[in-house]
Amino acid sequence: METRSFADYLRTLDDAALISLFTHRPDLVTPVPPDIASLAVRATSAPSLARAIDSLNAWQYQVLEACAVAAEPFNEKQIAALTDKAALFVLPGLIERGLVYSGRDGLYIPTTLREVLGNEIAGLGPQSLAKLSLKKLDDAPAQAKKALDAMVWGPPRGTVADIKKPGAGVAWLLENDFVIVANSHTVLMPREVAIYLRGGKVHKDLVIQQPKISGDKRDAQSIQLAAIANVSTFLRWTEEILNFWAQEPADALRSGGLGVRDLKIISAHLGVDANCAAFVAELAYLAGLLSIDADDRILPSSQFDIWLTQQPSVRWESLVSQWLITSRVSGLVGKEESKNVAPLGPELDRVAASSIRKLTLRLLQENPEIAPDFQPLSALANWHMPAKRSGGIQNDYVQWTLREAEWLGITGQGAISKYGVGLLQGAELDEINDDLPKPVDHILIQSDHTAIAPGPLEHEVAQELAILADVESRGGATVYRFSEATIRRGLDHGRTGDEIKAFLKKTSKTPMPQPLEYLIVDVAKKHGKLRVGNTSSFIRCEDSALIAQIISDKRLDILQLRQIAPEVLICQHDATDAMNILRSFGYLPAGEDSQGSLLSGPRIQRAKSKARPPRIIGDFDRPDDLQLTAALRALRTGEKSSHRQSTLRNIAASALGSLPRTTANETLDILADYLQNQPATSLSIGYADNNGLVSHRIIDPLKLSAGSLIARDHATGEVQTFRIARITGVAAI
Amino acid sequence: MSEGPLIVQSDKTLLLDIDHPLSTECRRAIAPFAELERSPEHIHTYRLTNLGLWNARAAGHDAELVIDTLIKYSRYAVPHSLLVDVAETMSRYGRLRLEADPIHGLILVTTDVGVLEEVIRAKKIAPLLGVRIDPETIAVHPSQRGSIKQSLLRLGWPAEDFAGYVDGQAHEISLKQNDWKIRPYQELAAEGFWHGGSGVVVLPCGAGKTIVGAAAMAHVKATTLILVTNTIAARQWREELLHRTTLNEDEIGEYSGAKKEIRPVTIATYQVMTKKKNGVYSHLDLFDTHDWGLIIYDEVHLLPAPIFRFTADIQSRRRLGLTATLVREDGMEGEVFSLIGPKRFDVPWKEIEAQGYIAPAECIEVRVNLTHDERLEYATAEPEERYRKCATTRTKRDVVEELVGLHAGEQILVIGQYIDQLDDLSETLGVPIIKGETPIKEREKLFAAFRAGEITCLVVSKVANFSIDLPEATIAIQVSGAFGSRQEEAQRLGRIVRPKVDGRGAKFYSVVSRDTIDQDFAQNRQRFLAEQGYSYRIIDADDVFQGKI
Repeated sequence: METRSFADYLRTLDDAALISLFTHRPDLVTPVPPDIASLAVRATSAPSLARAIDSLNAWQYQVLEACAVAAEPFNEKQIAALTDKAALFVLPGLIERGLVYSGRDGLYIPTTLREVLGNEIAGLGPQSLAKLSLKKLDDAPAQAKKALDAMVWGPPRGTVADIKKPGAGVAWLLENDFVIVANSHTVLMPREVAIYLRGGKVHKDLVIQQPKISGDKRDAQSIQLAAIANVSTFLRWTEEILNFWAQEPADALRSGGLGVRDLKIISAHLGVDANCAAFVAELAYLAGLLSIDADDRILPSSQFDIWLTQQPSVRWESLVSQWLITSRVSGLVGKEESKNVAPLGPELDRVAASSIRKLTLRLLQENPEIAPDFQPLSALANWHMPAKRSGGIQNDYVQWTLREAEWLGITGQGAISKYGVGLLQGAELDEINDDLPKPVDHILIQSDHTAIAPGPLEHEVAQELAILADVESRGGATVYRFSEATIRRGLDHGRTGDEIKAFLKKTSKTPMPQPLEYLIVDVAKKHGKLRVGNTSSFIRCEDSALIAQIISDKRLDILQLRQIAPEVLICQHDATDAMNILRSFGYLPAGEDSQGSLLSGPRIQRAKSKARPPRIIGDFDRPDDLQLTAALRALRTGEKSSHRQSTLRNIAASALGSLPRTTANETLDILADYLQNQPATSLSIGYADNNGLVSHRIIDPLKLSAGSLIARDHATGEVQTFRIARITGVAAI
Repeated sequence: MSEGPLIVQSDKTLLLDIDHPLSTECRRAIAPFAELERSPEHIHTYRLTNLGLWNARAAGHDAELVIDTLIKYSRYAVPHSLLVDVAETMSRYGRLRLEADPIHGLILVTTDVGVLEEVIRAKKIAPLLGVRIDPETIAVHPSQRGSIKQSLLRLGWPAEDFAGYVDGQAHEISLKQNDWKIRPYQELAAEGFWHGGSGVVVLPCGAGKTIVGAAAMAHVKATTLILVTNTIAARQWREELLHRTTLNEDEIGEYSGAKKEIRPVTIATYQVMTKKKNGVYSHLDLFDTHDWGLIIYDEVHLLPAPIFRFTADIQSRRRLGLTATLVREDGMEGEVFSLIGPKRFDVPWKEIEAQGYIAPAECIEVRVNLTHDERLEYATAEPEERYRKCATTRTKRDVVEELVGLHAGEQILVIGQYIDQLDDLSETLGVPIIKGETPIKEREKLFAAFRAGEITCLVVSKVANFSIDLPEATIAIQVSGAFGSRQEEAQRLGRIVRPKVDGRGAKFYSVVSRDTIDQDFAQNRQRFLAEQGYSYRIIDADDVFQGKI
């Protein structure tokens, strides 16, 4: 039994070998399996094997393929013969990973591994059952040779018009068992024939050496300069996006995420393309600097305030560390085929994203001071990660990683920077703080109403200036522009004209230009001259004496009156209440409408909305004959189907009696056994549904794959997938 | 990290700290490829534009030089993406070239077949092309030399024009330097143009662009068509040419509303060239009537659209554009670049100022308080009447009178927009007035008298002060006039007001009513003037009356 022998093999391993296995395949010990048998089951399960295969490089993968097509048991020499001598160095690695193991009389591979590797491994067909005399192939007739040539490098299938009347070549091949009949139109080339024709090898081209990387050489100095510029730019972008949303929050789409319009707005605000803006927003989201409110507004979180006070290196790391591990791929935004993918939305997760990102960075790290060209880099990445499971490496992802690394300053001019290396090695990143331009605490005010901060401004100064002026240009420096509107904004924020002047004088290194001083004074003088407020009603009277009397009338205190002009009072109650109260104390008020015309007496009122009388509920109309027959037909059909189902269920139940309950491992074993030895038997199984209710099914097992059983269910007559874990027990009928 | 004077911003502006010891050196280094946008007292703003970078390419600078300059002078690390962008933009220029071909006439040659394939597929370009000669060459209809340059620029693949020029009808012209000397930068400008073939010379106002034109004519030595903004400017060109060159009166013709003379050197106004008769531009034929060897466009930034259209058809003639700025209000900078030619010479204001040829004036805004009655009248006026109301308040008259009194003995111009107000001022001050209805003869007489110092004060309306040279005026007082385009006003001011020989600074007063839209206009003016490098200050009318100016 397959798993058992693998378990036996595992039992023979010493601690070191097991540790090495766990190091290569950490999923085997999360959670720790109860015994070696369970470990064996887990290690030979499809998902775990697939994971292990993903970690192989192209050359290891080829050796593994060779193992998979070799007849078991095989030995190192055979594999070396099928591939190359260099395979001898690779095999121990495969054994360490538990992808190849030694059995009683040689090397084996777990059966499931073949399924994981696919149907036609390395383009090879099934093993032949007949005895072949391969030497004959050398003297194959020309037509047969042609057919062989077409199939030798895979796919190992050939189409014939009619298998009963094959051409001369195919007939010869069939005669000698060099092809086997798959169905009436298809023949297959057995593995042995193909390997023989391939000259005893499995692969056409072996990829023993990793591809060379090429690119432009960059000197360390310019890498650093470019990287630090990128770091400071990225931090600035993040700050600006969030500050922007703090003032004008974007609305999240119904389907989640940021809409195209809002994306355009922020990319225009930052002066970058939409991809870059989406990336900045995504990272802020990942780092918890922004949150999407219950009312779908996108706002900076309180974490942002903490973030702002942190050292640049900490700020940078908090963003970059998220980027390294996230499975979200912001590069998908705006791609033609993923039109509906929105940044901050739910559709950005991609399985391989993080591993491809890490691989790309590792390759950059291995090639310092080089800005690699994309093609060779992508080829190298593919060599390192050849597994087909995730469709291989998405070249886009590699490209996006390079692009994003540059934005972040992990690279400078395309080559990895010392910050990038530090980050990947988990080193301290304090040098960022030293390398970034020192914050300045002053500005230069000019007479064209601009102020220039000749470097990154200290946080407090920047915040104050952001209130008093508009930012006109960003970068290493910031250009602020004062205008009437911005000064007014400062006044609206509670600053006085003198405070503004004092602040600017204190902050500016250059004398304050006289025109700006005039501007501030002018605006401050006018500011607040007009007052606007809310009130419910007003009381006015041309006789200011009467107004004075009302305001001093203690009984009217409940009206909460306030005098805003000699002849006008305002009141927090609505006009009707105010009138009633005034009347009750002997005053004689009259109502006034919004146009100022006098309202005479209570009006006859009318509803403003349209009349919607209630619906009349009467008797049902008699349905016509057509409707009746249709109803009857539907009823009968339903009945028939449920009867049939219950009959089937009864048969199943009586056949089953009581089913033995088995564990998943046992189930798997039993099923595998049936499949291998008695493939045609129907089985009855107990199967739990989502709610844990067990039903009995009668099935014809077809195949075991990736933790599920594929079988034909007698009840429905359809091929269905059953999860092994949900099968409570198995018995033959 | 260097502590350079330059800060490169992510929006492609360059901030130059002029108090930095390296600022002069840096300014010279970036001038060829960056356009000066603002030059207030501490930090000057330059901008990198596609056209600017292509101009630099046309002048023979390559991307490496631009990038090295930016890195060398930059205070902070320059974003890599910006450098890449600069390199990419610059590499677009010159991949396509227009050349003369003995068989096909005009051909478009490329060094990059991909680019050629891209452009010949463009809808606007296809009809301009002839047969494909080989993968890298395609024939162009010779008549479409201008149109194809325009279209290629719009596609972002500006073509270099090596197709050469016709010589035109020869005519002897040389400079006559008996009582004056051409300034070194003027000579360089003329040479820059001559070597480039066609193009634009950018010089600040007052730097003597007319002389550059004359020097260019002396290089070309052929019949010349000069296009100027208006009749007064035409007369001034004529005067200058008679003074500076060997040309005599009979060789120079004026083609304007008043006269239609065609001579070896003809000076035409934009106005007459763009005049329509029965829906057609009847005077545009002037371009064809003569075998011109050179066409000079004065004030290129004001060149009207129909002239562009015609210029597209005369690409085989040498063209010289003269201007103080390449910035156009209508955004047609690309047309200037493709049809007249790239920038051939440029010298920043500060440099000429440093050489002592020009100096900016001091600008003073005088704020007058409206009387209570005036204030009420202003507040209740119809919106379209409001500006007039506040601009012509009576209080201004007293201030102007006082200012004229304070500057007695200096050459003073009083400038305004509203004729009533000017008439009133002319009467009060007892000085002559020049306005729209004043005949040209009379105007010239008055200007001559003013230049000679026979009159010390003149009241002029907007109509009259356009494009006039009154270098003797040291004081200008503007009483009304909405602020026009951003460059125009500053230019005009620069032209009118010059420092006196004794070093006394020129002054430009604008009298403004406080708390009215007059003040809002003044604020715009203030911004633009400050951006142009003028110092600006605000005083109160009371200060004037107390003599504190």
